[in-house]
Amino acid sequence: MANLSLKGIQKIYPNGYHAVTDFNLEVEDKEFIIFVGPSGCGKSTTLRMIAGLEDISEGEFRIDGKLMNDVEPKDRDIAMVFQSYALYPHMTVYDNMAFALKLRKLPKDEIDRKVREAARILDLEKLLDRKPKALSGGQRQRVAMGRAIVRNPKVFLMDEPLSNLDAKLRVQMRIEISKIHERLGATIIYVTHDQTEAMTLGTRIVVMKQGVVQQIDTPDNLYSRPCNLFVAGFIGSPQMNFMDAKVSVDGENVTLAVGEHVLHVPEDKKQALIDGGYDGKTVVLGIRPEDISDDEEFIKANPDCVIRSKIKVYEMLGAEAYLYFDVEGTQVTARVNSNTQLRQGSDAVFALDMSKIHLFDKETEKNILF
Amino acid sequence: MNASEQAARKKKIQHVIMIIVLILVFLLFIAPFILVLINVFKTKGDINSDPLALIGAHGFTLRNFPDAMAKMDFWNVFRNSAVITFCATVLTILFSAMASFVIVRNGRWKACAILFAAMIASMVIPFQVLMVPLVSVYGGIFHILNSRITLILMHTGFSVSMATFMFHGAINTNIPLELEEAALIDGCSRWQTFWKIVFPLLKPTVATVAIIDAMAFWNDYLLPSLVLGEKQLYTIPIATQMFYGTYSTDIGLVMAALLLAMLPILILYLFLQKYIVAGVTAGAVKG
Repeated sequence: MANLSLKGIQKIYPNGYHAVTDFNLEVEDKEFIIFVGPSGCGKSTTLRMIAGLEDISEGEFRIDGKLMNDVEPKDRDIAMVFQSYALYPHMTVYDNMAFALKLRKLPKDEIDRKVREAARILDLEKLLDRKPKALSGGQRQRVAMGRAIVRNPKVFLMDEPLSNLDAKLRVQMRIEISKIHERLGATIIYVTHDQTEAMTLGTRIVVMKQGVVQQIDTPDNLYSRPCNLFVAGFIGSPQMNFMDAKVSVDGENVTLAVGEHVLHVPEDKKQALIDGGYDGKTVVLGIRPEDISDDEEFIKANPDCVIRSKIKVYEMLGAEAYLYFDVEGTQVTARVNSNTQLRQGSDAVFALDMSKIHLFDKETEKNILF
Repeated sequence: MNASEQAARKKKIQHVIMIIVLILVFLLFIAPFILVLINVFKTKGDINSDPLALIGAHGFTLRNFPDAMAKMDFWNVFRNSAVITFCATVLTILFSAMASFVIVRNGRWKACAILFAAMIASMVIPFQVLMVPLVSVYGGIFHILNSRITLILMHTGFSVSMATFMFHGAINTNIPLELEEAALIDGCSRWQTFWKIVFPLLKPTVATVAIIDAMAFWNDYLLPSLVLGEKQLYTIPIATQMFYGTYSTDIGLVMAALLLAMLPILILYLFLQKYIVAGVTAGAVKG
């Protein structure tokens, strides 16, 4: 396995379009890195530059210290799993998996041993004689994984490998990929737009938007300490609630006014607002749905962070319920316990867990508390 | 009679009319072939007296075959036809498959776009327009007429545009770029990617091009008659022409020669026909 280094990577197409701008990342051995972001954010382009399928316009890409910018894909010692699996339709499962090894002119018995070992790991032993068209989506996905595994490459690249599977199979394969990472100790770079995959699989996540890296961090940190409004909104489902709030500094007392609701900012968050000169200015208050509580005890204990509204939509999800309501014209979602008594049309009182709030500069969209 | 019964009756009548038309068209196409089959086993006199009789007055005879084979030097002309058809077909498939791969995968290159447009444009020029300059240039300037190789290259040149057009469509729609990228990552060079991944997947189109071009080359009369002047280089269609005399024609021998000319290509067609429809429609529907 290997260390990867991407420094100042840029992708500029002949028509002048900047697909990737100043991408910097150091990947340690055995890391599981996720590139995540909306469609067209440059995540797949970056992966393809790592694979050698796209030229790097500017910057340096190294594997184990060796400059790879102009090295052919076949000489980079990488394996890639494609979104469409890209299995060779005219070859059997066995031949698909053995193809790369045959090209490297490995002895036949070694090829056979490696293919059968990978087939055993992925439970493909009974399918080795079949052609891809005779396989289900999940089986094809496993063959694509097997084709990568047999090569024992320095880096595994995966471009949305689960996006063609149904929801149930996707969960199963997600677990399989996680197990394979554990078992092989592989360095993996994985592209997805599914934040559940990103959060569950990755040791670190690279969030991208319009070709620019927004934040590189652990899943936990991305969730609890997003660096800007985009990351805060992109990571988490249902997404974080955002409300405009006017800051008032009165000596030691700092409050946020969301319409008629006045919320008291806790001690650990005050200083950033004071130091940043936000007194009298409007900031964006962000709070995750699970940090809005309808619990009476919590509301009583936190009378200075209460908001009132009428429930517009009630969604029961079994273990929990989503409540949708408006605060000063902005739709807010609360994720509460399923035993809540609130229903559509109910007058509701909620308390915000102010220790979990995020505050963003309205102009720069950066996290003031970061 | 209610509306649904009326509709069913109308549908049935339409179906019957369609079958009748199909049978008539089939008979129209099959009639010459049947005439050949009937008359090839008759003597010259029987054919002249009653060409439509199933069996002639002198009975069934196989005499026409050895006579025709001897007169047209069959094995020599068969060899000429086979060599020319095989070589020209193989060259057409190789050049056009490789050319279309480069054109499709380098769509952004202007040179490729211009080359492809020129190839398509060349398809509308009738052969008859090029016929005289072709002979005068190759014969008058280069002096390379009367050569099987010249004819093979001419056949290849004339057919490569259409074949490239067919391979272009097949690669464009049936070979996902990701397959080639997977092959590149697996360790293939561009050359290996083409031969190990792309070309095997073009099998239906290869079969279609093979049968269409092989039939055209095998049956072609005009171009070989212009290029091949020496008797030992004759192909089957030119040799068949020898049976047509100025004052008399031995129809029995002509029929035997025609049947002998037809058989190899008919066998090839039967062997490859399952691929033809797949190849012709390749690219028509997104799979």
